[in-house]
Amino acid sequence: MSAPSLSRTRQAQDYLAAVEHELADLPADDRSALLEDLAMHLDALAGEEDERDIAVRLGPPSSYAAELRTAAGLPARSSGGAASASGLRERIDGLIASASFQRALPALREIGRLVVELRPAWWVLRGYLLVLVPCLLVNDGVRDVPVPAPLGSDELGFVLVLAAVAASVFLGRRKLPRPVGVLVVVLGVVLVGVSIGVAQRELDQATYDHFAASQPTSAAEVPTERYPLLSRYGPVTDVLPFSADGTPLRDVLLFDQDGRPLKVGFQEWWADNCARVLDQPVADDGVAVPNAYPQSYVLDPAGVDIGRSNPRPADSCAAELPRPGVPLPTFPADEAPAPVAGEPTEPIAPAPGD
Amino acid sequence: MDASQLLKGVLDVAVLAVVRDADGYGYDVVRRLRTAGLEEVGDASVYGTLRRLYQAGALTSYVVPSDEGPHRKYYAINDRGRSVLEDSTKTWRTFADTVDALLDRTGAAA
Repeated sequence: MSAPSLSRTRQAQDYLAAVEHELADLPADDRSALLEDLAMHLDALAGEEDERDIAVRLGPPSSYAAELRTAAGLPARSSGGAASASGLRERIDGLIASASFQRALPALREIGRLVVELRPAWWVLRGYLLVLVPCLLVNDGVRDVPVPAPLGSDELGFVLVLAAVAASVFLGRRKLPRPVGVLVVVLGVVLVGVSIGVAQRELDQATYDHFAASQPTSAAEVPTERYPLLSRYGPVTDVLPFSADGTPLRDVLLFDQDGRPLKVGFQEWWADNCARVLDQPVADDGVAVPNAYPQSYVLDPAGVDIGRSNPRPADSCAAELPRPGVPLPTFPADEAPAPVAGEPTEPIAPAPGD
Repeated sequence: MDASQLLKGVLDVAVLAVVRDADGYGYDVVRRLRTAGLEEVGDASVYGTLRRLYQAGALTSYVVPSDEGPHRKYYAINDRGRSVLEDSTKTWRTFADTVDALLDRTGAAA
């Protein structure tokens, strides 16, 4: 019977150890008193003729421990009250022992290895961020990416980044005392948080700049059918010709450098808020001449406002809209300017049909 | 009805009653409870209860060395334990009588 008794001693030891493990979070005096009782109890059981396993007679160690706790009026294991650091460790141990965790273990190991391999990259990054983020936070109008420019100096930034990266890597490779290590991790998290905030702000700014820059491009910087001629001030909707002596001219035909009729946009906005339509001169062949300037508009027969949504009777509209005032130059009296337009020296285009 | 649920409520009284008759070590108390008819009592429940009663000052304990076999930690009732047992006994009697009366009446009505 020596072999069975040996194995029963072993069983008892294992059982005691398992219960001890389950009670690990209890105050030392409670734990030792309960374990002392259990040890004696197991000794007593060992002396009996009962061949059953201890776990069968007493139940699983976890149940035994839970029952002990309940009967002794001690907190259950999962309750937060007595859960100290060791209690947390127990829970982590429990999690690690669970089947789903064991299945996920290879993937987690792989991730763990990857994290370890990437640590040097983080050391470099945090050194860089440590210099970059404060530089970005100081709104000095100096470009801080990719080289931060503290006090407006790229060179200083370069040196500081090198120093910070070197210090960071040095710190990373050293085994730090626990409180310092925790502090470094916390500061790292804060740094990442601030970096994300700053990056968000910079991105917003960049998006806004891009938007602001692109907006005129689509609206007014590309000639379209609607606005075929653009100036730096936006779409050109009319051309106002004057003779050199300051006389406003009418029905002046304009052509570009290649002889193509010069067309401008249609003016939609009017000071009296009345909608108007173009009234272009019509040539002999019945085709409207689009390049006669200034453009001639008449009130929209529909009698609506410029939004074309509300009625706008003709009597509420200005009959004649004044031309804007123009700064006309004065020429030296003895140097007569070129012949007045309207009397072309050489006709290059058909005259308007009036 | 699951007797183990009822047992939880009266285990204090039962354990105190067992050690009032004679001091006992843990396993001894378990066996005496089972012999008395509380067969479903769990070992851990008894040990836990002993620990709690000891902590509450209702029991004292002492270790008896043994030449053959293990040392034994005996539990003994003290004055405080006796007064607790007395109060608990009264409570139990009242409670049991009430439930008895309730059950008898229900039985007569049925």
